[in-house]
Amino acid sequence: MTKKLLALLLLFQSLSVLSQSKEALEAKNFFWGEADKSRTVSDIPANLQNESAVILYKNENYDFHKYGKNVTYTSSIRKRIKLLDQAAVDEFSEFSFQERFYSSKGQFNWFRKGSTTVGIKIIKPDGSETEIDVEAEAIEVDGENKLAIANLEVGDIIDYYYFTKEPFKSTYAFGFEPVEKPLAEEYPILEYKLFFETENDFFINFNSYNGAPKLSEIPTEKRNMRRYELTEINIPKGDFTRWFYPLVELPSYKFQVYFARSGKFEDLALAFLPKNEATIKTSVSQQEVLELYENRFRPDGDLGDVKDYFKGKTFEDDAHKVTAAYYYMRHYYLTRFMEAFYAKDANISPYPFMVYGNNVVFIQSQKQFIRHFTEYLRRQKIAYEIVVAKNRFDGTLDDLLIENNIEILVKINTEKPLYASFFGPHTNINEFSPLLEGTEVYLLSASRYRIDQINKGKLPSSTYADNETKKNITLSLNEAMDGFKLTAVNSYKGHEKSDQQYDRFLYTDYVSEDYKKYETETWVDMVRREKDQEKYQKELDALTEKLRSTQKERFEDSAKAEYFADALEDYTYQINANGRYSLDSYFIFTEGFTTKNTLIKKAGPNHIIEIGKLIGGQIDLTKKERERSENIYLPYPRSYNYQINMKIPDGYSVSGLEKLNTSVDNATGAFISTAKIEDGVLIINTFKRYKNYFEPNSNWEQMIAFLDAANQFTNEKILLKKE
Amino acid sequence: MIMNYPKLLLVLLISTSAFSQGKVEPTPEDLEIANVLKTEFPDDEVALISSVDLITFDFDKKNMQVTVKQITDEEMINLDSRADIQKYCFYDGESEITEFEISYINGKKAGFQINDEAYKSDDLFHNDSRVQYADMDFPLNAYRYLTHVKKEYKDVKYFTSLYFNDDYPIQKKTISVTIPDWLNLELKEMNFEGHDIEKTLTTEAENHTKTHTYTLNNVPAMYQESNAPGPSYIYPHLLILAKSYTRDDTSVTLFDATKDLYGWYISLVNSLQNDNSALQAKVNELTESAKTDDEKIKNIYYWVQDNIRYIAFLDGIAGFKPDEAANVFNKRYGDCKGMANLTKQMLLEAGFDARLTWIGTKHIAYDYSTPNLAIDNHMICTLFKDGNTLFLDATEKFNALGEYADRIQGKQVLIENGEDFILQYVPQAKASFNKETLSYNLTLEEDHIIGSVDRHYNGESRSQLLQNFHTLKTENKAEFLEFYLNQGNSNIAVSNIDTTNLLNRDQNIDIAYDVAIKNAVSSFDGQIYIDLDFDKELATHKMEKRKTDFIFSSKKDLESVTRLQIPSGYKVSHVPANISISSDNYDMQVMFKKEDRALVYKKQFRIKNAKVATSDFEQWNQFIDQLNALYNDQIILSKD
Repeated sequence: MTKKLLALLLLFQSLSVLSQSKEALEAKNFFWGEADKSRTVSDIPANLQNESAVILYKNENYDFHKYGKNVTYTSSIRKRIKLLDQAAVDEFSEFSFQERFYSSKGQFNWFRKGSTTVGIKIIKPDGSETEIDVEAEAIEVDGENKLAIANLEVGDIIDYYYFTKEPFKSTYAFGFEPVEKPLAEEYPILEYKLFFETENDFFINFNSYNGAPKLSEIPTEKRNMRRYELTEINIPKGDFTRWFYPLVELPSYKFQVYFARSGKFEDLALAFLPKNEATIKTSVSQQEVLELYENRFRPDGDLGDVKDYFKGKTFEDDAHKVTAAYYYMRHYYLTRFMEAFYAKDANISPYPFMVYGNNVVFIQSQKQFIRHFTEYLRRQKIAYEIVVAKNRFDGTLDDLLIENNIEILVKINTEKPLYASFFGPHTNINEFSPLLEGTEVYLLSASRYRIDQINKGKLPSSTYADNETKKNITLSLNEAMDGFKLTAVNSYKGHEKSDQQYDRFLYTDYVSEDYKKYETETWVDMVRREKDQEKYQKELDALTEKLRSTQKERFEDSAKAEYFADALEDYTYQINANGRYSLDSYFIFTEGFTTKNTLIKKAGPNHIIEIGKLIGGQIDLTKKERERSENIYLPYPRSYNYQINMKIPDGYSVSGLEKLNTSVDNATGAFISTAKIEDGVLIINTFKRYKNYFEPNSNWEQMIAFLDAANQFTNEKILLKKE
Repeated sequence: MIMNYPKLLLVLLISTSAFSQGKVEPTPEDLEIANVLKTEFPDDEVALISSVDLITFDFDKKNMQVTVKQITDEEMINLDSRADIQKYCFYDGESEITEFEISYINGKKAGFQINDEAYKSDDLFHNDSRVQYADMDFPLNAYRYLTHVKKEYKDVKYFTSLYFNDDYPIQKKTISVTIPDWLNLELKEMNFEGHDIEKTLTTEAENHTKTHTYTLNNVPAMYQESNAPGPSYIYPHLLILAKSYTRDDTSVTLFDATKDLYGWYISLVNSLQNDNSALQAKVNELTESAKTDDEKIKNIYYWVQDNIRYIAFLDGIAGFKPDEAANVFNKRYGDCKGMANLTKQMLLEAGFDARLTWIGTKHIAYDYSTPNLAIDNHMICTLFKDGNTLFLDATEKFNALGEYADRIQGKQVLIENGEDFILQYVPQAKASFNKETLSYNLTLEEDHIIGSVDRHYNGESRSQLLQNFHTLKTENKAEFLEFYLNQGNSNIAVSNIDTTNLLNRDQNIDIAYDVAIKNAVSSFDGQIYIDLDFDKELATHKMEKRKTDFIFSSKKDLESVTRLQIPSGYKVSHVPANISISSDNYDMQVMFKKEDRALVYKKQFRIKNAKVATSDFEQWNQFIDQLNALYNDQIILSKD
């Protein structure tokens, strides 16, 4: 028996060795075989001579085959690149790859591993070719193979491919990772080819955008096999600058492949599948959106706890009721568990979630949230629609192709509609990603129980007044006139708020408040044994203390950077309002410190204060940025409003106010500043506004005008003149 | 989601193996210890109450090698409210970790998972170092753990030193080395002065061993300071000098004297094939049209610098044995040893007398008087010609022939010489060799300053710039120069840049350009306030809280002269006071003077030995304070 097993193992081993070299040969022949036309290409046009490197040929291939539930997915990329400077040589002088790996797709399969074969050759300017013996030269450490490329010099062509075969088993429908990218990359490309080979049971969604060529079908010898390709020549290098959405501007393509073995699995697939395998799906109709979601968003969820909480409570109207329900659920299904998460992470308790019992509801996906929340609305007989939206950075709703790109919200049709999105610990009712604001969406609704209607709609936009960072800075100079005390009250609302909340809160800053507000038990209270309770509380307190001290260091560093201080002392930090219960309420914190030799320059008996720097670092556009040719995609309209109050020291007067009064206000944004002296206090107000989500390139000059004005303001100074 | 109980339980059991029984809460006595240690070491989150290294030796008959066992037992205590740290231990092809245990204070296993990973370093493409580590958490102040690590070395040669300091401060550090009679091993005490290290020697007659025990109390953690000297300069330690052993009445020499270390090194070199046929054509190409020997040598040296990429494989014997020259030549990459060997073989092919040369860079405190593998870390090539000695280090890109990087200057070298060896020193250059001059000629134009700038770079200030410049993408080079010249300050517009050849490493660099500077001039009430310094060198170099010398990358000699034309109708009504300072390590001076209608602002900063010593700090910091006050003080022009 043992012998047999051994023989079997040996056989299997030798087979796998054989198949490996077969794969290597297959890959080599595929790329560098007789049919390789690109081998003759080695020259680059004159206009590209000053580039760091030029890709002579780039080829990406995706190959999908199956046998029953067994899928073999082969993907490969080849690049033939002329290296024109040392930076490029350095870039391509080392390679790394995993020769053998376990696929993370489908069901776990320890029996068959995936493999990556790498081929590399160097072509010298005289045309001589050297193929690198990757197997012999690569070094493997902990499953990672590393290779240093020998004899690579400026002027050489490096021609390499990665060929990955990934077998896996999938009983159910399986969607491959979507691919969405522009044709352009870091280096210009002379010739590009994207190639697909599939057979039955593989469904392809593919489309080209912004002028990229279309995918075309190539006839094959077998009825159930299909081949497609996309080719393009002379692709300039991509310049991925600030405020830019490449997928909206640059020639791009998107695709996703779905594996579904039968009609049953096709129906279950969470994807907009083409009618059949022979058809490439290039767009998604309104009807198809409805068909995909009509069953998936059936209201569903155990609302027992919510019901208990609302027992006996009355509300002014539905809007108030829904708002209360949203915040209750945010606590009951999320923040209630925070302590346990920390206890788990910090190894304080081995099984912290046991205290919640068997049937605890913990919402962990957008779709689960929608079903749970709409179940509540349905029971309360409050009208709603489900919003199917798409982020602005990957094109319009009409360009919808891939289900993964969908974002879902609930629109509650109260007198003034409310929007509810899957919550984080601080998400407010009516808050959803600014990337969805103002976009066209589908609205799904049910005439009775089942979703059966779909309409187009538009999500509301926010304004610069809605999204605000506000600072009120009070500054007083010390007697020696070489330092100052600063107190800043920082307020944030709208979309400016959440990043600050994540940055500035410890979990204890909001969890205890929620426990109190909803009269729920803390995690420690729920622990049964008193001895454990005591121990856990002690350890959680120790954790909090440690987090507070590292938090303080972080805040001090951040204040140093913001106020250009090398060092600061007596740092204080306090939360005034946490802004967690409505989008337009401020999150407010106050910080204070003293500092020396910061923003004060001596000028004989007088002092120059670099007061403009108190509005923080501003965008300082480079020459290249000024010559921008792309349209401008901004995160959201927003404003930064600062008030600086500086007590004028006794015995001094202020000169230089005129430069602090400035105003640039145009259709794209504004920078306005005013300065005055009142009761011995210099009061400066600045207002910086980004007014839109998008500006056409023709508006760039107007944006430069207000960005420059803000940047110039940071250079402005006042003179404190000894009287 | 409805949580599935049994599944959840399983997941938790797997992921929290650390929760076995045995956690012990700190006692009031523990809290007192933590308190005392925190007062002593306020910047550390964890300390060791005790750390004991027990070293013993044995003999591996099969491989005829002296082996070493190092057992380290430590007691850790948390000084903060909570701490999360990694306890780790390195090993490599010449050593292994055979025991790694962490227990609660009652001796029960704490159950932290011990991970084993390859050690990755940005400097080394591949090395055989690995690390075992555990993520440990200390849930409460004064929480304690016991750790036990046993590491075994296959060959005493690779067991080079023992340090008292560690990542964490230690209340009581003990190193105990038991040397058997058959082993002749010296424990050379390094940097012991100033440290109260207690030593005892006991003889265990029945075991035929002697045990040296060293104890040091209140040992601070190793300093986490940038630009610090190498640890062998700073910390007390024992250098292990295994000289010989006697087995069966036969004495075998290990590294008894320099010649023994050399003997091992040269045996590795002698095992090379040195088939140079692959590089002959290149040598011919590089030398055939050269008119002088100097030119031939430069052509070869510079070719290796420019064409061989530095890629290091530190794997077993490859850490000590150079790669074949032909391999390095064909691959166009190698480490320092490979490059030194290629330089040597190419020079030999061209008819010169070139030798391989071992050296410990400035990072290492030792010279060759203490033979041990920790005393060197680098290899270069020595060329003997016409009674002169030239050192060639091809890992230094854009290094001119006859110039030496600061990291090897003044260091002793071991030069191959057949059966014998030669000891010499790499010459030291003066700071003036690296002289950098800046000269601004400026005038005021309303609220702007305009003018021209000349910069000159010599020595290492030059090679550094050339090297940075050449690693850039072609399309970024023009932008980089502008950025380099205005230091990223968009208030300074740079134009009309004219440079000497930025490929020629034999020539000093001159860069001339025009500037237009915004926002450096403020006018208030008829007076003009000028910030005349655009570079503010050394402004951030105050040595605060620092425990070690500050080491610069090279000796510095900067002279900066700014000449500002005073506009007609104005006079200078305020300039900051002149300052100067001098010591063995530096001469610094900043002064203002009026020349005709110009204000001349001159700075001279000379760091003579590429360092500011801790003994300089007080004086140095006073000067930096004055310098910053001067940088902060405005020049005032007022109407005549």
